[in-house]
Amino acid sequence: MKEKEQSSPLSFKQLAVGFEFPPTSYELTDPVIAKYLEAVGEETDLLTSGIVPPLAIAACAMTALSQSFTVPPGSIHASQELEFLKIVPIGTNVSCGGKIAQKLERGSLNLVILEINVTNQAGEKVLTGKATIAAPN
Amino acid sequence: MKEKPNLSDIHQGDSLPTIVKHPTQQKINLYAEASGDYNPIHIDEAFAAKTPLGGTIAHGMLILAYASEMMTQAFGQSWFEGGKLSIRFKAPVRPQDAITTSGKVDSIEEKDGIPLVNCSLECRNQNGDVVISGGAVVKLQ
Repeated sequence: MKEKEQSSPLSFKQLAVGFEFPPTSYELTDPVIAKYLEAVGEETDLLTSGIVPPLAIAACAMTALSQSFTVPPGSIHASQELEFLKIVPIGTNVSCGGKIAQKLERGSLNLVILEINVTNQAGEKVLTGKATIAAPN
Repeated sequence: MKEKPNLSDIHQGDSLPTIVKHPTQQKINLYAEASGDYNPIHIDEAFAAKTPLGGTIAHGMLILAYASEMMTQAFGQSWFEGGKLSIRFKAPVRPQDAITTSGKVDSIEEKDGIPLVNCSLECRNQNGDVVISGGAVVKLQ
């Protein structure tokens, strides 16, 4: 499913504001989406409608980005924002990318805010979002 | 799945469809395969037992998928091309948990001539603990 040349992941501390993650491609095929729907117990008729659930796309994006860096033990995925821009038909190849938008310290936590974006094979944005990862100092 | 709802059918205070799910370890393992997220905290029970969490937990995005399913049931295709989510993950979800996802329409407004439905939502476990809370906005085009 995934096509990407994996370089060594960066440590959390090495992540710099503006760092852009190398894009990762996913082919959102019937079997992949069927497996996803079974995992989340989806009870809408998405598979027969031929539409990829937007959270399946978001999951691919988060996985793609998270494999580019390591997090210290005790880190948590603190918050998530997502915007769904276009319907994605099953069978679409999407490209998931993103960048480090912000780094903050809040008390005993280091926060990293990731911007994510997903485009279809025509280069159109289908999903954008922000994820906040909180790691202990 | 509904196509797109009529604005006349949506009112402030309306409850969204409540969804109850059981993210078993089997489902979590399947989600790892589907998403490519094989973090051992989710799938390796021996590894997870040695962490402060004491056991495996579900992927946050797996639980968030329940909220998206609720929004899909309520708003159909309008959710897929014009939906926005903004949530906080409040507590971990264990494989033995039962998660209830609920929400309501907080307000309906118009922006640039397009109706926006503002909703609040949350996911709670069987003890009533909030595991996800936040909001969603749907653009009805």
